[in-house]
Amino acid sequence: MSIECPVSLDREKLKSEVRATYAKVAENPQGEFHFHRGPEYAARLLGYDLAELNALPQIATAPFAGVGNPFLMDSLPPGGAVVDIGSGAGMDCLLAGRRVGPAGTVVGVDMTDGMLECARAGANEAGLHHVRFEKADITGLPIDSGSVDVVISNGVINLAPDKAALLTELYRVVKPGGRLQFADIVVGRELSEDARNDIDLWTG
Amino acid sequence: MIEALQQAGFRSARANHFFDSFSGTTKERVARKYEVRGANFIAHK
Repeated sequence: MSIECPVSLDREKLKSEVRATYAKVAENPQGEFHFHRGPEYAARLLGYDLAELNALPQIATAPFAGVGNPFLMDSLPPGGAVVDIGSGAGMDCLLAGRRVGPAGTVVGVDMTDGMLECARAGANEAGLHHVRFEKADITGLPIDSGSVDVVISNGVINLAPDKAALLTELYRVVKPGGRLQFADIVVGRELSEDARNDIDLWTG
Repeated sequence: MIEALQQAGFRSARANHFFDSFSGTTKERVARKYEVRGANFIAHK
């Protein structure tokens, strides 16, 4: 089971709350939030390699707030084109950039200015010049149709009020034979009406 | 999610690797109540 946005939830308000929450994470990753952040969490609960994360700029790793590990499913093709949906501070993009190498490209897409600043600084500090970041709504990607080998994402698709529109957009940008490999939240039991309408639950 | 991926046109959609992503957070209790976890998904075009 996954989470569907209730009809009664104000979608613009949800988008605004998501943006505000992650702006706070970008500004102060050590602040009080109801979800984990950072490389130690990623290594301890999600199976990332802590040594590899510690080799990346802290500005990109400290705000990390993913919920799984897209890199466990399959390797990324050297020289390939990768897009990260809701790239946050860019930790997964930097990892992807190292895997595809300088002959490849990685584009991170996010709507939060603070996260984009962290991500661009991190890529610059890491010297990964084939990794770039774009500000956009993830249901309207600034990406050519059929141009992407692999779409990755980590804990973001559940934040989209209209998942069908988002998945249709992802299908548009992926090449024939390409794939999605992403992490997200799953819910094993039916949520109460109160829980479905609790914006705090959607922003984590 | 699998159904939504299939409806969008993706094939061979599946979930694997599950994560106790909210363990130790202030939302751990509600996450356990509703069996909320992180999961990896893969799907092909």
